[in-house]
Amino acid sequence: MKARGLGEVVVICSFSLSMLIITFMSGCSTSTTIDEQKSSSTKLSMDGEEKIVIMGRRHGNSYETEPGFIDCIGNKISRSENLNVVQEKIFLDTFYPWFEPRIAPLNLNRMKVVLDNDVVAKKIRKLKIRYIVWVDGSTETTEESGSMTCGMAPSGGCFGFKSWDKASSYEATVWDLRGLTEKGKIKVDSKGSSYLLGVGPPIPLIAQVQGVACEGVSDRLKGFFDNG
Amino acid sequence: MVTTLKKKIFASIIITQLFLMGCSTHVVVISEHPTALIKVLPYKIGLVLDNSFTDYSFTREKDEEKITISLGKSQSELLNQTFNSMFQGVSEFTVKPISQIKPIDLYVSVVVEDLQLSLPRETSVNVFEIWIKYKLEIFDSKGSSIHEWIISSYGRTQTRFLGSQERALHQATNAALRDAGVQIVTDFYQVPEILNWINIKKAQKNES
Repeated sequence: MKARGLGEVVVICSFSLSMLIITFMSGCSTSTTIDEQKSSSTKLSMDGEEKIVIMGRRHGNSYETEPGFIDCIGNKISRSENLNVVQEKIFLDTFYPWFEPRIAPLNLNRMKVVLDNDVVAKKIRKLKIRYIVWVDGSTETTEESGSMTCGMAPSGGCFGFKSWDKASSYEATVWDLRGLTEKGKIKVDSKGSSYLLGVGPPIPLIAQVQGVACEGVSDRLKGFFDNG
Repeated sequence: MVTTLKKKIFASIIITQLFLMGCSTHVVVISEHPTALIKVLPYKIGLVLDNSFTDYSFTREKDEEKITISLGKSQSELLNQTFNSMFQGVSEFTVKPISQIKPIDLYVSVVVEDLQLSLPRETSVNVFEIWIKYKLEIFDSKGSSIHEWIISSYGRTQTRFLGSQERALHQATNAALRDAGVQIVTDFYQVPEILNWINIKKAQKNES
């Protein structure tokens, strides 16, 4: 009788814990808003050898677009589409110092000044760089609450509860270097809450806010280009 | 009895060392600097970097925390790389030669004037920041001063989840060095005194 009672308690506890996790998991979901603006309804054409560069803006005072986010977009585009994407670091080193944060062109007029430099223009032509996609924005923790203590619980694990909200906001602008025109913009805003539940081993329930934003920008960018 | 005492002393030394290590950060800056994409000028440069520059190490002790950043080697490589991209040849000197050396057209002597850093806990911004102030003294081939040029470079890196302070300071210092290179490459020819020197050199070449 006593053993059955204990078994019931275990079942009830497991059920409660599962329900709690499911509740938290549903809270982990992210909400995303995507806006898109194209200068033309036709897709952007590219010759077989022409390349795209995706670069982050880092001129702001309080934030910088994360290199990892730029890599994420580049990887997603080059993996799923037949597009030649030049890695940001390689492009920045090849064209050093013309795209460094201090002097990177913020608009097409400044880009024209950069391309007026024969050495830079020749290299752009040689490497067949056709489009530059500038990504500006960042992911930030907007709110944190709760606390967790590890190593103090009788089991030696963690005890407590912690939650935090993250918000991503990015804007991608596509420049066509042939004719120096802006071909469109994509704006992605996403937010979500993450939880860390400490009942013995800590159970993280992380909302992939930045990952969702990367997915959003990449999917829309793929739609810009005609990959032949 | 003596053995136990020795063990205790040894253990206390180890523990003290561990605590001291926990309060100090030492960053040795290692970086590969890119070649600048710029038109090469047909002049030979004497780059004067003394030992205080090539072995430069910055130390800050604040709130019982010691931070050391050794960037002498990296900043010397940066300047060599930068001036090699800009000019036909670069020779390195530890002191400015007293007598005139024939193939050198211009001497550039560089010293670190100041280095400052700020950590995320000291500011409201979630970034590690580094400022480096360099003084470049430019002399002609006869040793006469042409210009004294101060540049302030800036580098930062955002805090990363579970990222170490060493790594963040390393990245911020690298960014500051890169920024110093940007200013040398893009502003060197904008300095009126240097521009004037280049014009005189061009005129002399055209006459001959």
